[in-house]
Amino acid sequence: MTIPGRRTRLRGRPELHTSYASELALFDTRAKRVAVAGLLVGALALPFLLTDEVLQLLALCCVAAIGAIGLGLVTGYAGQVSLGHAFFLAVGAYTAAAISGDPDGRVIGFGVTNIAVWLPAAGLVAGLAGVLVAPLATRLRGLYLAIVTLGLVFIGQHVFSEWSALTGGAGVGRPAATLEFFGQPIAATGPFGTRDQKLYWLMLLLLLGFALAAANLARSKVGRAFTAIRDRDIAAGVIGVNLARYKTIAFAVSSAYAGCAGALLYTVTGFFDPGSFSLLLSVQYIAMVLIGGAGTISGAIAGAFFITLLPRFTRELQAWVPFLSAQPNEVPNVFQVETILYGVLLVVFLIFEPRGLFGLWVRVRNYWKAWPFSY
Amino acid sequence: MSEPVADTAPAGDPADLAAAATASTAAASTAASTAAGPPARAVPASTIAVRVRDRALGTPDAVAMREKDRGIWQEVTWAGYWDTVQTVAHGLLALGVQPGDRVAIHAENRREWLFTDVAAVAVRAMTVGLYPTNPAPEVGYLLSHSGARVLIAEDQEQVDKALEVLDTCPELERIVYLEPRGIRHRYRHPALLGWDELLAIGAEHRAAEPGAVAARMAAATAEDIATLIYTSGTTGPAKGAMLTVANVDFAIRVLVDGGGFTDPPPGPYDVLLSYLPLCHVAERIFTTWFNAGAGVQVAFAESIDTVQANLREVQPTILFGVPRIWEKILAGVTIRLANASPVKRWNARLWLGVADRIAGTLVRSGGRHTAGTRLAYAAGWLFCYRALRVRIGMRRVRYAASGAAPIAPDVLRFFMGIGIRMHEVYGMTENTAVATGNRPGRVRLGTVGEPHPGVELRIDEETGEILTRHGGVFAGYYRDPAATAAAFDADGWLRTGDVGEWVDGTHVRITDRARDIMITAGGKNIGPSEIENALKASPYVKEAILVGDRRPYLTALVGIELETVGEWAQRRGLPYTTYRDLAGKPEVRTLVEGLVAAVNAGRAPVEQIRRFTLLPKELDHDDGELTATQKVRRAAVAARFADLIDELYARRPANTDSDGSGRDGSDRSGTGPGEAG
Repeated sequence: MTIPGRRTRLRGRPELHTSYASELALFDTRAKRVAVAGLLVGALALPFLLTDEVLQLLALCCVAAIGAIGLGLVTGYAGQVSLGHAFFLAVGAYTAAAISGDPDGRVIGFGVTNIAVWLPAAGLVAGLAGVLVAPLATRLRGLYLAIVTLGLVFIGQHVFSEWSALTGGAGVGRPAATLEFFGQPIAATGPFGTRDQKLYWLMLLLLLGFALAAANLARSKVGRAFTAIRDRDIAAGVIGVNLARYKTIAFAVSSAYAGCAGALLYTVTGFFDPGSFSLLLSVQYIAMVLIGGAGTISGAIAGAFFITLLPRFTRELQAWVPFLSAQPNEVPNVFQVETILYGVLLVVFLIFEPRGLFGLWVRVRNYWKAWPFSY
Repeated sequence: MSEPVADTAPAGDPADLAAAATASTAAASTAASTAAGPPARAVPASTIAVRVRDRALGTPDAVAMREKDRGIWQEVTWAGYWDTVQTVAHGLLALGVQPGDRVAIHAENRREWLFTDVAAVAVRAMTVGLYPTNPAPEVGYLLSHSGARVLIAEDQEQVDKALEVLDTCPELERIVYLEPRGIRHRYRHPALLGWDELLAIGAEHRAAEPGAVAARMAAATAEDIATLIYTSGTTGPAKGAMLTVANVDFAIRVLVDGGGFTDPPPGPYDVLLSYLPLCHVAERIFTTWFNAGAGVQVAFAESIDTVQANLREVQPTILFGVPRIWEKILAGVTIRLANASPVKRWNARLWLGVADRIAGTLVRSGGRHTAGTRLAYAAGWLFCYRALRVRIGMRRVRYAASGAAPIAPDVLRFFMGIGIRMHEVYGMTENTAVATGNRPGRVRLGTVGEPHPGVELRIDEETGEILTRHGGVFAGYYRDPAATAAAFDADGWLRTGDVGEWVDGTHVRITDRARDIMITAGGKNIGPSEIENALKASPYVKEAILVGDRRPYLTALVGIELETVGEWAQRRGLPYTTYRDLAGKPEVRTLVEGLVAAVNAGRAPVEQIRRFTLLPKELDHDDGELTATQKVRRAAVAARFADLIDELYARRPANTDSDGSGRDGSDRSGTGPGEAG
C-alpha cells in the first residue's frame, strides 16, 4: 500500500516530510544548504586572504572547537557537568606525543609518526580514561560530579608534573606529536603553501569531520538519550533509558574528543609542558561551551573561536583605546582587560542569554521565522 | 497489479474511458458478459473506479494521496491505491455485497475512506458517509434509513455508537473497524471484522475469482446510484440524496475538467488538503472526484483541529473552505498580529492597509490586477504577504474557493488583498454541487458567480427561488418519494430552496434560504444571513442568529468566539473562568455592542439589530443546536433560548435579579438584553 523509504519531495514544502530521514536531515532546507556551502567555501579560501600568524591562531581555534564539541556532548547534551576536561586533553596530548616521539630522545617515544596512528590512539586512550571515570558520573550528579572531576584535574596535574620520563617535567616540557601521514609531512612549507596555511586546512577539515560526527550522534538514539538524561535523569530512567550505559557513552565520546583535541592542540606550537593542563584550561572549555551555547554543536564551535580569539581582540583593542598599555607592568594594560572581559562575558551571558551565542542566533532566526507574527 | 488489462492507458476523454472499460470486460471475463449487458447502455458508465484504474495504468508511480502516520506523510501511489481498492472490492464481494447495496463509512478523512468509497462503486454498491460527530441516535437513523449492509467504522468510539443502535438496523450485517485499539481482543460481537481481516478475505476472494470485480465494473450503468449523501437536516431529519454515476460524471466534467471550481483546471501537480467531512458533497468533490478525475494529490489532515498546522506543512495549491474556516483563519491572523512586537505590528498594519486597497481595486475589476496593484503587491510580497501566506499555509494556493454557506464579503476581501485568488462558489447536494461559480477575472464579490457552462439555471419570477436543470440533478431522495416530488417542479427543474437575484444579468446573488427569510411585524422581508455574516466577520463573533420573524424589530443572539475573546480579555487583564463567565462580563458586552453598532451603521432602520444578547453557552452538535456541518438549527436554538428571546422583546430590559423565570442554574447576569447601537 505505502512504499517504505520512498522519498518524493514536494517542491517548496520544507515541512512536509515523507520519511524520517528527511525529517532528521541536518541540512533540511535549501537556505541551510546554501549557507553552509558558502561558509565552507569562505573558510577554505581564508588562507589566501590572511597572514600566516592569523591562520595559526585560526588553526588553534579549530582544534579548540573539537575539544569544545567533546565537552558539549557530555555537559551540553547529556547534562553532566565535567571540570575534568583538561585531564582528558592531557591524556590525549601525551599519548600522541609518546607514540610519535623520538625513540632515542630524552622522553618516552615509540617513533610512530603517522597521524593515522597517533590521533586515533590518543582518542582511544582518552576515551578509555573517560570510561574509567564514568562510574562516578552514574552515581553522582550536579555539583558533586563537578567536584569529583575537579579532583581528576589535580591528580592529573600532579602525575604529569612528576612523571618527567613521559612529560619532560614541570617547566621543561616535551615536543608534541609529529604531523606526518604515511611518511609525508603534512604541514611543511612547500610549493602548495606555507606551514600555517596547510595547518589551517588540516585542522579545518578535521573539525568538519568531528563536528559532523558529533551532529550525527546528537540526532541519533544516543543523542536523544543524552537529552533525556539532561532534562531529567529520573524521568529518562523511567522511560527506559539505561542511565549507566548512556552516561558512560557520553563520557567516553567526550573524552575521546578531548584526547584528539589535546593531541592536535600542541602540534601547532610544537612544544608543551605539564603546567598547561590546569584547572584554568578546564574552565576555559566550560566557558567555550557556555558562551557558545550548551547543547549545540555550532554553539560549541562558535564559543571555541570566540574564547580563543579573545586575547587577540583585546590586543587589537589597544590601537583604539589609547590609555591601554601593552606592557604587563603598566596599569591599565590589555592583559587586565582580557581577564576582566573574560569574567564579565561569562556573567553577562549567563544572566542575559544562557543559551549563549547560539541563543543569540536563535533569537534572530526566530524573529524572522515568525514574521509577520511574533509566534 | 493483477488488473487483466494492462496494456492500454487511455487519456482523459470519457468516451475513451468507456471503451477501455468495455474492452477490459472482454478480456477479463467471457464475451458473454458484454453480450449480456443491457442494450440501452447509451451513456457509458465512467465510474470513479474506472477513473482510478486508468490513472493506475497511466501513472502507476505518481502519488495519489498522503496521510500523516507516526509523524510522517505516508504516500500512496496510484498503483497502490488501485491495488488496495481491488482487494477491498473483493472483500465486499466476499461479504455478499450486491449491486445497489449500501456501504456506510463512519470515519474521519483518511485513506480507507477513499479505498472503501471507490471499492463500493466498483462493486456497484452505494457509499453512505456518516459524520464522525454524529451521535448514536443519528447514526441509528442514518444506518436504518439507508439500510446499510456493511459499515466501515473508524475506531472504538464509532463502533460503540453502531453497536448501541444495532437493534434498530436489521439490514446491517457487518461492522468493519479500522483502528483495532480497544476493540481487538475485547469486543466479541459476531458482526465485527477488522480492516486487516477484510483485506485478507478480499485477497482470498481475489485469488479465487480474479475477474469478479472487473465483471461488476463492466456491468455498471450510468443510472447506478454511486452514493447516498445525507443532507445535514437543518429543519427535519436528514434526507438521503441519491447521486448516480452519471451525476458524478457530469460533476467531474463541469467542475473538474471544465474548471468550474478551479480555473485553470486541476492536474496531477496540484495538491490539496482534505479536512472537511467527506460525507458532505463539497469535500467529496474536492477530495475524491478531483483526485480520481484530475489526478490531484490529496493530503489528509490529521483532524479538524490541526488544519492550520497541516496547511503549513502541505501548502496546498487548491484550497476549499467553508466560511467558518476562512473566518477562523482570519481571526487567528488578527489575534496573532495584535500580540506581535511593535515593529511587526506596525509593518503588518502598513501592508495590510495596502492589501485592503489592492483588494478594493480587485473587487472593482473582478479580480484582475492593474499595473499599480501589481507593483504595490510586489513590494508587500517582500515585506509581509509572502511570509504571512507561508504562516497560514497558503503560500502556494493558486485557487481558493468558499462555499457551502454564505460568507461575509469582508472576509473574502482580506484574502484577495493578500494575493489569494478567492472565489465564492455555489451548489448543493441535490444538484451534485453544480450550479454557479465565480470565474477568475470575473469575480463579483457578494455573488456566487455565473452558472457553469452547460447548466440551466433560472430564478423564479414570483418567489425568487433559484431553479436548476442539468445532468447533475440527483435521482431523488432515498426511500422518500414525497420529498423527491416536492424537490422538482412540473418541468423537471430542481427547487434549490434558495432565494436569489441576478446581478448585471450574469452573476447570481443569493438572498437566503427561502425558509429562513423573515417577515417582520412591519411586513418587511429580511434575509438574515447577510446581517449575521457581517457580524461573524469579526474575529470575536462565532455565532450570530438573527431573530425577527413576525416581531416588531430585529434582535440577535450572539455567541462569542472563546479563543479570541479570551485572548482579548487577557490583554485587558480581565479574569474569567468559563465561557459563561466570559460571556457574562459587561466589558465583553461592550465589545460586542461596538461590533453590532458597526454592522448597523449604514443600514435602513428596519434592518438594524435593535437589541442583542450573548449566548450563555457554545452551540453544540451533541445538544442538537448545530448540524453535523456546524449549521445552526434555528428552530432548536429558538426553542432552547426562548426565554432569552422573550426578554429581548420585553418592554424594557428585564432586571436580572427579579427574573425568576429562567432555566435552572442559568446565570445571565450581564448577558441580559440591552439597547445596542
